[in-house]
Amino acid sequence: MTATIEPERILREMNQLWDQTGADTGGAGVLRACTMTLIVVAENDEDAALARRTIGSIMHDHPSRALVVKTQDGEDMSARVFSECWMPFGGQQQICSEGVELTSGPRHFAEVARALVPLRAPDLPTVVWCRGPGAFTLRAFDELFPLADKIILDSSTISGASAALAFIRSLRLRGYRIADLEWTRLTGWREVLSQVFDDQSMQAPNSITSIRIAHGGQTPPICAIYFGSWLGRALPSAHVRFDTAEGDPGLRSVTLSSREGDLSLSVSSGGCLAVTGLGRQYRTALPPRDEAALMREELKILGSDSVYERVLG
Amino acid sequence: MPDDHNPFADPLRFERRVPECAMVIFGANGDLTKRKLLPALYRLAYDRRLPASFAIIGNSRTDLGDDEFRNNMRDAVQKFSEDTAFDPDLWSRFAKNIYYIAGDMNDPSMYQAIGKRIGEIERHNVLFYLSTQPSYYGAVAEQIGAAGLNEAGPGAWRRIVVEKPFGHDLESARALNQRLQAVFPENEIYRIDHYLGKETVQNILAFRFGNGIFEPLWNRRYINQVQITAAESIGVEGRGGYYQEAGALRDMIQNHLLQVLATVAMEPAAVFEPDAVRDERAKLLRSIKIMQPEQVPLYAVPGQYDGFREEKGVDPGSNTDTFAAATFFIENWRWAGVPFFVRTGKKLPKRSTEIAIQYNSAPLSLFASGDGDLPKRPNLLILRIQPEEGISLRFVSKQPGAGMHVRPVSMDFKYGASFGGRSPSAYETLLIDAMIGDATLYTRQDMVEASWRVVEPILHAWQSPNFRVPLYEPGTWGPPEAEKMLERQGRHWRNA
Repeated sequence: MTATIEPERILREMNQLWDQTGADTGGAGVLRACTMTLIVVAENDEDAALARRTIGSIMHDHPSRALVVKTQDGEDMSARVFSECWMPFGGQQQICSEGVELTSGPRHFAEVARALVPLRAPDLPTVVWCRGPGAFTLRAFDELFPLADKIILDSSTISGASAALAFIRSLRLRGYRIADLEWTRLTGWREVLSQVFDDQSMQAPNSITSIRIAHGGQTPPICAIYFGSWLGRALPSAHVRFDTAEGDPGLRSVTLSSREGDLSLSVSSGGCLAVTGLGRQYRTALPPRDEAALMREELKILGSDSVYERVLG
Repeated sequence: MPDDHNPFADPLRFERRVPECAMVIFGANGDLTKRKLLPALYRLAYDRRLPASFAIIGNSRTDLGDDEFRNNMRDAVQKFSEDTAFDPDLWSRFAKNIYYIAGDMNDPSMYQAIGKRIGEIERHNVLFYLSTQPSYYGAVAEQIGAAGLNEAGPGAWRRIVVEKPFGHDLESARALNQRLQAVFPENEIYRIDHYLGKETVQNILAFRFGNGIFEPLWNRRYINQVQITAAESIGVEGRGGYYQEAGALRDMIQNHLLQVLATVAMEPAAVFEPDAVRDERAKLLRSIKIMQPEQVPLYAVPGQYDGFREEKGVDPGSNTDTFAAATFFIENWRWAGVPFFVRTGKKLPKRSTEIAIQYNSAPLSLFASGDGDLPKRPNLLILRIQPEEGISLRFVSKQPGAGMHVRPVSMDFKYGASFGGRSPSAYETLLIDAMIGDATLYTRQDMVEASWRVVEPILHAWQSPNFRVPLYEPGTWGPPEAEKMLERQGRHWRNA
């Protein structure tokens, strides 16, 4: 434990860790892999443990230097290095990614941000991932955002869709590239709908005049607002309406209406989406995606995401 | 393409979608179907890349029912899927749409039966896959046409996939093409060269045209030579009968390695679209200098491993090349004068496919070399296709310690380390491409003809009655003549 964070000491420890990891393999050595810096802000011990588990899972697809910032008020700042290793299928040499876990209270975030600058893997993209609601509520997080080429938030962690959206839009206006895992969770729904209209024999989508989005809960959750905005951008002449429906909060069904009839996507049993109407009646599997799957999808997109940006308006 | 009319498309996030379709496999009891096609299709189903209704109709002469065929295919998937767990539930859903029609490929009634089955299962889009002996390609296409199976309804498609070899020389390639094009338009003919489907071959384009630093050095001013090697450590492994007719030049260089050469040397396409990319590949292949008969002994070397004639199915007097090496020159402004050395063979020291791009040496050697041989160790860029896919750059570095002694070191990028996820097999990539109508990685007729033109003078010379193929010891890098070919040009093979 140290009272402050010393980047040079951490980098030295990281090198020592690599020497030790290589020595432990009995001569085979390990392959050090890194394609980006992933700064993860976890808001307590449990959050940090879950983040580490997700990091371990996504490292296979996106080997990164993980800098996990664990917020913990009243504690001195501290840092420790770690590595994540795995043996590729049929391989003989382990592939390892490196990481640093830093503990700090939000009031020290300005200092943490300064320390993170030299700790980033040089010349590679940096992604800041805020797992919890703190990013939406604590101004201290602003200190970390300038480090990022992309900021990943999860608006499902807070209540109040309009406030969350307003915050995300404000970050975008400040020039940050933003992703929201709540939008990522909609990929399955969006893909199923898009597939219906991939069919050349399907009617032209611009004949759709109205869209009804049914959601659980009293007010439209952010996922419903996203979906409505996405549909509205794709079909500017269609009127979008939100309705409440029975069931868990979240998206329950989407109905596109045209003179030819209705096309509906609705939550069905067994983790499926039911597609009905306009000569279609089938169910398609839509298994729940864990945090690692959502992160894998977002980390694939480090450039501009024009569809999401249009949805944000 | 779907994106053109679909306002909901999101190509950054959505997988390219395969429309509802059926695949008719001719030669469905053969090795290719069992080892490559079914494992690839099963993996695509495992990854949910295929529509739930995707159907397979297998055909061969063997008298089987649907269930027996399904069982055979299940065994093949279990045996040959290298990195995919077998999921019995998934298989039972997948197998429900597998059918089998026994019959002779020359029998018109068999095609009527296939047409009837396609109608019964209500598939409008059909991919015909010729996994048969090449001699059947033309006849099967004609029978498909005679039965009207090539005619797609409005908004639907009918495509044919042809495996190499596309003919056994230029004339037969043209004749085959005429027969195929009499039934299918060129844009529905997919000539598969699985090398182009390999992730690492596709990565050559990303490496060249996605980075700013390499392309300026990618020309005759900086590059001294290019060596393309596709070595196998095994022999013909029971394929003696086929291999005896083909030989290394036809089996590897005419198709796979010339396509790789074209990918390394082509100009950038204006857009990354199928015909734009294929135009550039074709243009490059047409730029390869055709050898005159008297040049063949200087620029091409065959070899046969000792013991080939004792292989099962091989004529004891066989003159087939199990090794082939050739020097090609590309006659354009970028590459004039740069030799492209290409070689392939069986029973070589190790299995390895790689492209070695050797740069010119530094104009002046200022430093003492640790191994005393620095001028012979210029910068080398290695693009490894298999195994250990990756890229290495060799350069010199100062040895630690007193004085200024330098020695070569290697900077390595391993594909599997930076992208830990599983890479799709070439057949997975190419099958999906054919189903969605993307022909970028498929060979076009003009490319086939251009590559036959390149190898034909060599074939003619090696097939002349008095020509004897030199032997080489298994486990060596081919006959000594291959090394001499390079020595005459002041170069050496890279036998790392």
